[in-house]
Amino acid sequence: MTRQSATPDRDSDDAVEPSWLALIGRVVLVIFGGYAAAAGFVTGASVALPLIGMVRSEAVALAAMLGFVVYLVLLLWGFAERRLWRLCLGLALLAGGGFGVGSLM
Amino acid sequence: MESSFRRSMDWLHTWAGVLFASLLFAIFWMGTLAVFDREIDRWMMPMTRLPVVDQTVSVDQLRPFLDIAAATKSPNWSVTFPTDRQPVLTVNWRKGEERVRHYVDPATGVLLPDPGSWAGTQFLYPFHYMLHVKLWDLGMWVVGLAAMGMLALAVSGIVIHRNLIADFFTFRAQANPRRSILDLHNITGVLGLPFHVLITLSGLIIFFANYFPTGWQAMYPTRDAFNADAFGTYSRPKLNHPGSLVSLDTMMRDAQRIWKGGMPTQLTVFHPGDAAAYVRILRFPEDRVMHHPDSVFFDGATGDLLQQNSAPRPVMTMQRFLSGLHFIQFQHWTLRWFYFVLGLSGCVLMATGLLFWLEARREPHASSAPASVRLVEGITIGSVTGLIIATLAFFVVNRLLPLGMTMLGYERTALEAWIFYLTWLGTFAHAWLRPPHAWIEQCRAIAGLALAAVLLNWLTTDDHLFASMASRTLWPVAGMDLLLLMGALTAWLTAQKLRSRTVPASPRHEPLSVAESQALG
Repeated sequence: MTRQSATPDRDSDDAVEPSWLALIGRVVLVIFGGYAAAAGFVTGASVALPLIGMVRSEAVALAAMLGFVVYLVLLLWGFAERRLWRLCLGLALLAGGGFGVGSLM
Repeated sequence: MESSFRRSMDWLHTWAGVLFASLLFAIFWMGTLAVFDREIDRWMMPMTRLPVVDQTVSVDQLRPFLDIAAATKSPNWSVTFPTDRQPVLTVNWRKGEERVRHYVDPATGVLLPDPGSWAGTQFLYPFHYMLHVKLWDLGMWVVGLAAMGMLALAVSGIVIHRNLIADFFTFRAQANPRRSILDLHNITGVLGLPFHVLITLSGLIIFFANYFPTGWQAMYPTRDAFNADAFGTYSRPKLNHPGSLVSLDTMMRDAQRIWKGGMPTQLTVFHPGDAAAYVRILRFPEDRVMHHPDSVFFDGATGDLLQQNSAPRPVMTMQRFLSGLHFIQFQHWTLRWFYFVLGLSGCVLMATGLLFWLEARREPHASSAPASVRLVEGITIGSVTGLIIATLAFFVVNRLLPLGMTMLGYERTALEAWIFYLTWLGTFAHAWLRPPHAWIEQCRAIAGLALAAVLLNWLTTDDHLFASMASRTLWPVAGMDLLLLMGALTAWLTAQKLRSRTVPASPRHEPLSVAESQALG
């Protein structure tokens, strides 16, 4: 597999080329782990926002709409972040924190 | 030396592109057609090419249909009133898993012959948001993932872009294919960027409660409870013993009085035949972007007003506004045409992206392309020209199949869909079996099928182009025929251009230049 870029006249990057398995692992982690973290954010925000006065249905709608932006940021970070442990930690914190706040309800 | 962020965005753009471009092309293609889904309906269902009427028949005249729905225990029964884009009255209910739909002439109340077609609103439009895969809502989830991929592609595309402003003005049509393909990709991407991002994000936002259910699940016991709070929907369970329904026309008049004269869009009876039946009358105002109906709910047995809805709260208003931006059901023809053109530009964006990926990896003097290129090229051809061919086959077969036809137990509606899918599969097979000629042949097929569709409309309905352009009622048909002809021309010119580009592989077979041949002769 050649890691051809969108503009192949540039230098190919100098990082260690990951194996197919590591690549698929990263894709699965980012897509599903990222979704879990975004869903955690949505849950946490849906529960937390009414506590500061927002109407329940408004909080749920706002949290879900922001959830798409959060997921996008996580997707981009997931493929830009070189260190796997940082990515796993970040996703776990967001998912755990979000669903944790959610379980207060 | 560019940053590692730029390099990773470059990688992401390439791989998300190869992975999602075909799917995104299909979603954008169907979405673009869905902008004019009601006009496509008029073309595919000639019996519905009716003039707009001011006064429709009384709803109580349609009670026989309600009695059938009650007898088959349908959970609800709806009447959708005619509009300028959909001049027929439709009556719908469920029979078990099936959806029953009848078309009624709004002026006379007479049942129109069954068109036997899902056409634009029931086939092309739902394909756009759920790919007709209902199992576990997988179609909806896949579209959602593709939409997130689109957003990631848009952002990564901007990041790796070298010269954002200059590319507004750069299209080198005469340059080598790789250069002009990339130029076209950049133009459609950059010029259409606000649309591509907004349409994708708003599409996701329409389904916010489906894509992120954990939010309402944490705060509400049921989805109905959330809907009641957020959308102002009213619901109550059935009592499971029979009851009667008062005059629906009276409810219609009450609703119009409440709305100071506004014409209702839809009337729905929930739990038909039950003692707890209730009636919802909706009105979608066409003068605002926000896609939120005014609604009134009446008790079925007494006709008493149960609930009348006020405007939604701020955040939900934002959600309805963004949904409305996506649905473009409000009255604004200029914007609708803009969406159509921008949607097509999105299709060009994805196709040129795939083509660039292919051209960048093709070795110019090798006898055949590497396996990865052959695989992606086959998929690309089937997904781009193949999908267009399948859509045109859908239109053509609609004009050919007799009404009321069934075959092998399949209804006419399903047969049209079968032809669509089988043709699509066929284009993939064709792409893999004839790689060097596939593009040209499929472009020619597009031209031929589009022309055939226009001719068949003429032959089977007498509403040929000159007649349809002259009559306001038939403008949807004229529009479709004109776009088909333009598509045919574009496809034919593309085929010609591709043919003239095919250069001989080995220098030995190069034809002599004019000067050389003159020197010899």
